[in-house]
Amino acid sequence: MKTSDKLMIFGLIFMVGLLVYFPGRKVARMHVNSKTAVDDHPLSCISCHLYTRKEEVISKMINADYYSPFNLAVSNNGTRLYVIAQDADALLVVDAENNKVLHKINVGIHPHSVILNRAGKMAYISNQWSDNVSVIDLASSKVIDTLKTGNGPAGLALSANEQFLYAVNAFSSNLSVIDLSSKKEIKRLTTGNNPTGTALSPNGKVLYVTSRRANPAPYGEPLSSDMTLVNDKTQTVMNRTSIESAYIMENVAFTPSGDLAIMTLIRPKNLIPSLQVERGWMNTHGIGIIEQKEGGRVIQLLIDEPNSYYPDPFDIVISPDGKTAFVSSSGVNVISVIDIDAVRTLMAESSPEMLKRFSNNLGISSLFVTKRIATGANPKGLALSPDGKLLYVAEQLEDKITVINTESLEIISAIDLGGPNRITVARQGRRLFNNASHTFQNQYACYSCHPDMHEDGLNYNLAAAGRNIVNVISLREIGDTPPYKWNGKNQSIYKQDGMRFSRFLTRTETFNYDDLDALVAYVKRGIKYPPNLMHNPNGELTESQLRGKALFYRSEDNLGHVIPENNRCITCHPPPYYSNLKLADVGTLAKTDDSIYFDTPHLNNIYASPPYLHDGRAETLEEIWTIYGLEDKHGYVNDMTKIQLNDLVDYLKSLRDPEFYQNNSNNQQQALYYKSN
Amino acid sequence: MNIKKSNIVFLVVISCSAIFFSSCNERLKEGTIVFTQVAGDLQDVNYITGNSWRYISESHIMALDPEKAGASPKLLTEDFFSACAPQISYDGKFMIFAAQKKQNDIWQIWEMNLENLKIRQVTSSKENCIDPAYLPDGSLVFSKFIKNDTVKTGHALFTCNRDGSEIRQITYNPHNYFASSVLQDGRILTISRQLYPDQKNGVFMVLRPDGTKQELFYQGLEGSNLNSRGWETNNGKIIFIESDKSNPQGGNLISINYSRPLHSWVNLSTGIKGDFYAVSPLQSGKLLVSYRSSDKEHYALYEFDAENKMLGKAIYKNENYNVLEAVAVEKHERPKKLPSEVDLNVKTGLLLCQNINFTEKSVDSNSSTSKAVKIEVMGIDASLGTVDVEEDGSFYLKILADIPFRIKTLNQNGEVVNGPGSWLYLRPNERRGCVGCHEDNEQVPENKEMLSVKKDPIKIPLRLKEIDNKKIH
Repeated sequence: MKTSDKLMIFGLIFMVGLLVYFPGRKVARMHVNSKTAVDDHPLSCISCHLYTRKEEVISKMINADYYSPFNLAVSNNGTRLYVIAQDADALLVVDAENNKVLHKINVGIHPHSVILNRAGKMAYISNQWSDNVSVIDLASSKVIDTLKTGNGPAGLALSANEQFLYAVNAFSSNLSVIDLSSKKEIKRLTTGNNPTGTALSPNGKVLYVTSRRANPAPYGEPLSSDMTLVNDKTQTVMNRTSIESAYIMENVAFTPSGDLAIMTLIRPKNLIPSLQVERGWMNTHGIGIIEQKEGGRVIQLLIDEPNSYYPDPFDIVISPDGKTAFVSSSGVNVISVIDIDAVRTLMAESSPEMLKRFSNNLGISSLFVTKRIATGANPKGLALSPDGKLLYVAEQLEDKITVINTESLEIISAIDLGGPNRITVARQGRRLFNNASHTFQNQYACYSCHPDMHEDGLNYNLAAAGRNIVNVISLREIGDTPPYKWNGKNQSIYKQDGMRFSRFLTRTETFNYDDLDALVAYVKRGIKYPPNLMHNPNGELTESQLRGKALFYRSEDNLGHVIPENNRCITCHPPPYYSNLKLADVGTLAKTDDSIYFDTPHLNNIYASPPYLHDGRAETLEEIWTIYGLEDKHGYVNDMTKIQLNDLVDYLKSLRDPEFYQNNSNNQQQALYYKSN
Repeated sequence: MNIKKSNIVFLVVISCSAIFFSSCNERLKEGTIVFTQVAGDLQDVNYITGNSWRYISESHIMALDPEKAGASPKLLTEDFFSACAPQISYDGKFMIFAAQKKQNDIWQIWEMNLENLKIRQVTSSKENCIDPAYLPDGSLVFSKFIKNDTVKTGHALFTCNRDGSEIRQITYNPHNYFASSVLQDGRILTISRQLYPDQKNGVFMVLRPDGTKQELFYQGLEGSNLNSRGWETNNGKIIFIESDKSNPQGGNLISINYSRPLHSWVNLSTGIKGDFYAVSPLQSGKLLVSYRSSDKEHYALYEFDAENKMLGKAIYKNENYNVLEAVAVEKHERPKKLPSEVDLNVKTGLLLCQNINFTEKSVDSNSSTSKAVKIEVMGIDASLGTVDVEEDGSFYLKILADIPFRIKTLNQNGEVVNGPGSWLYLRPNERRGCVGCHEDNEQVPENKEMLSVKKDPIKIPLRLKEIDNKKIH
C-alpha cells in the first residue's frame, strides 16, 4: 500500500474517531449532567454503569466478602475472643494472645450478639435475620443447637440461674424467654420499640432492655423511649422507664456494684426547625444513667463538646472496678473514656434542675470524659478482658479488632481478622455512610437518621420553620425508585446526596466526586436488609393476605362499580417496587406543606417503616385510610369493611423484596402490564 | 558551519541554565520563614484603630531560610513603604499581605507568587484594606475600613476573589474586625471589638465565610486583651497572644481547645520571663513565636515547643529590628469549603428563639416582673419594633438583612428584664436560632416544638412593609 493510501486511511479513521468522539462526548456530558444535576461530574462510565450493576457475576467481581465484626465476647481466661462476623454469617474464634483467627464457625444469617455462659463453655449467638439463636459448644467449636426466637433477635442475656436465655427481638419489639432445658421459647414479653441491648443487674434481679425507636407519637409531642425492666425470677415486666427526649439506646451496662445502669443514647432535635447545625441544633449524643435505688433518678449527660460531636454511640462496657466506662462512638471512630466517679460526684452535687440542664449542655462532658481514643472505621461492640486491663473494639468497617490498654489508654495492637485487604467502592461508600466527618463538626452521619440503612421513625422539620415536616424514608431498595425526596425534586441519588445535601443538611463541604460515586454505589446496591420473616417468611400468603391482595388488585368496589383506574391501589403501586415512580396527590397535603405532589413511595417491606405518609402523621397503615383517607383520594377504600381493611393491611405487610416479585412470573406480567399502561 | 552550530547549542544551554538557576534563586523553598520586620522601637499599639498593630508603618516582609545558619533574611517588599501580615496559601505557593506603596497611600491587599516572587495588587480600594487570609475556596477575607456614619466607622470583614473581583462585605455589626484566620471547620476566626454604644474588649468570633452564623468563640477575663491573630494547630488547639491586667503591653502565649474554647484556657508561657508578640503553627507541631525577654530588647524569632511549654532557640534576632508575625512557607491542610446559604435576592433573614426566659443563671420567671413577655429589637439609631413573644417564650422574626440589631426582653410593664444583648445581624436568607437570652453558650435547645413556628414570622422593622419576600419561604 502506498504511503499516501495509508495516510488517507489513517486520516479517515481519525476523522470518524473525531466525529464519534465529540458528539459522543457531548451526549455523554448531557447524560451525566442530567443524572447528577451538576455540570462538572467526571465523565466516568464505570462509576454509574459498573459499580451499581445488579448482575451477580459483575457484583461478585467488583465487590468483596468482608467479615464486618459487630460484637464480641472474651473467654473467662482472656485467651480467646469470640467475634461476630456479621457479613460472613459466622462466629470467629480468635487467639487473643497471638492475634490469630483459629476457627470460623458458620451460624445463622446476619448474627448480632454473642454471649458466653458463666463456665465459659457455651456461646449463644443471636441470628437477627434467621430469627434464631445458635448454641455453640466452645470445646468442639460446633453449633450444637438452634433455638427459635421472635423476629430479629439482637441482644442476649442469661438468667441468674442460667436456666433461661433472654433474646431481645428487635423487629417484633419483644423479649423471648427460652427455657434452655426444653430448648423452647416459653414466653414473649412486650418491650419498648425496636429493642436491642440488654443486661442483667449484678444482683441478678432485674433485666434491662433498651429500645432504639421512640414511642409512637404525633409530631410535636415530646419524644420518649422505653427502658423495659424485667423481673428475672418471675419473668414478668416490672416497669417501663420512660427516657425523655432520647432514642437509639443501643446498649446498657451495669456498674459491678450495681448502683448505676448506664446506656448509650441519642438526643435528636427533630422537633426544632433545622435552622443551623451550630450549637447542637440537629443532634446530640450521650449516656443515660438510672440510679438503682428506691426513687433513683434517671438522668442524661451529653458526651459531645461545644464544637465536636460524638455521634452514633453504640456500645458501653464498665471496668471491673466500676470506675471507668468506655463508649464506642461509631460515627467518628472514637472510644470515649468516662470517669464514673466523676459522674457520681456530679449527680450528688447537682439539683434536679441542674441535672435537667446538663442533659442539654455540651460542656458538661469535660467533667467526666477523660480521653478520646481514635480507632479504625466504625467501632461497634466492646469487650473487656476479665481482669479489665484490655479493651477489645470490634471495628466493623475495618475488619479488625483493636486492643486498647485500659491503664495507658493507648492502642497496643490490632487483630486483623483476615478479611479482604482491598477497599471496594461500595465498602468505601459504606464507610462514608457511617461516618460523620461529612457533616459540620461531625454532628451526624447518614447512619444517624438511617440506622441499619433504614429509617429512624422520626419526622423532621428540615425546611422553613414549622413548614414541610417530613418523615425519614427507609433506604432499603431505594436505589431503583427515583425520584427522591418526598416532593420528588431529586432525579437521582447523585443529586440527592450532592451539593444540595451539603447546603441544606450537612452544612459543610460537599462530597468529592469519588466519594459521592462510592456513596451512591453503596446506597444503590450495597444495602442489605432483613427478610420479611414476620409477615411473609416463605412467599406463601395467608388467607387474609390473599384476600388483601385481591383488594389491592381490584378494579370494582363492593357494589360492583368500576373504580376509576387512577384510584386503584395497583395503578400507583405496581410490583416489583410497588411504586409507579410518579408523583401524586393523595389528599394528604397539610396546611404547613408547600403546594406539591408527593413521590409515590415503594412499598417493599413497608411493614418495618412506620409511621406513614410524607409527614409521618399515620402511626399505622390502617390510619392511612381510617383517619387520613376519608375522601378516597388515596385509593378507593371507604366501601371496605373493617375485615377487608385488615386483609388489605395484612397483604401490604407481606410485601417483600423486589427480587421476589421480579422472579415471580405472575407478578412480572402484572408489572409489565401496569408499566405499559 | 559545525563550529557555528555547536556555538549556538552551547549558548542555548548556557542561557537555559542561567534562566533555570536564576529562577531557582528567586523562588522561596518550602520551610522558608517569612515575617514582618520593623526597625527601631515599636510604637504604642492602638487596639481600637489598629495603628502600630495591624497597620505597622515602615514595616517590611522578609524571608529567611532557617537551614542557612547566619544567613541574612531577604527583603521581599522593597517596592513598598510598609508591608505586613503575610499569610501563605494552602498549597504553599503564594503569599498575601497588606501593604502601602508610599507613605500616605491607602493600604491594599497584595499577593506574591512564591515561585517567582512576582507581586500583584489584589484590592484597589479607596479605604484601607488589611489583614488578609486565604479562604478554603481560593478567595480571600480581609478587614476594610468603612465609614458609613459615625457609629459604624470601623473595620468590617470583606471577601473577594484572588483577582480582587466580587468584593463583598460580610459583617455588619458596629465592631472592629481584625486579624482573621480560618479554622479547619471552614469558619473565619477573627478578633472582634464592639465600638458602639461603648467600647468593649476584643473577643474571638467565628463566622462562616458568607458572614452567617457569627458567634462568640472565646473571650478572655476582664482586663485581658487579644494581641494577635489566632491560629488553629494540627492537634485541635487555638493559639494566640493575650495580655492581661498585670502586663497590658506584653503578651502571654495562650492555648485553648477548638472543642471547648470558652473553658480550656492554658497559658503556655507561664514561667517564661518576657513577652510574646505573635505566634503561628508549623506543620511539625512546633510554633513560631515573636518573643523578647524584656522590653529593652526587640522581638526576635524563636521556636516554641507547646507540648512541653518550652521556648526553643532563637531562629533569628536583630538588634536593630523587631521580628513580628512570622509564618512558614509550607503546604498545610485546606480547611473545609462551607456552602453558603446567602441569597442576595432575598432581603431578609430569619431568627428563632426558643425561650427568652431561659437565661444562663436561672429560669426564675414565675413572678410577673421577672418574666419577660415581649422583646424590643433595637437598631443603632432607633427601635425596630417591640413584639409579644409566645406563651412558651419563643419568638420568630423575619428581619431586614445586613443591619445590626440588639434585643432586650421586657416584662408585662414594659420594664427591661434582660439585655440588650450583643449586636447581631442576619445575612440575606440566613436562618439562625438561639436557645434563650444571655444563655450559657454551651447549651443546646430542648427538643420541643415552639409555638412561634406555627405562625408566620414577625417582620422587623415593624414599620417597614417592603421586606415581605416570598422567596424566604
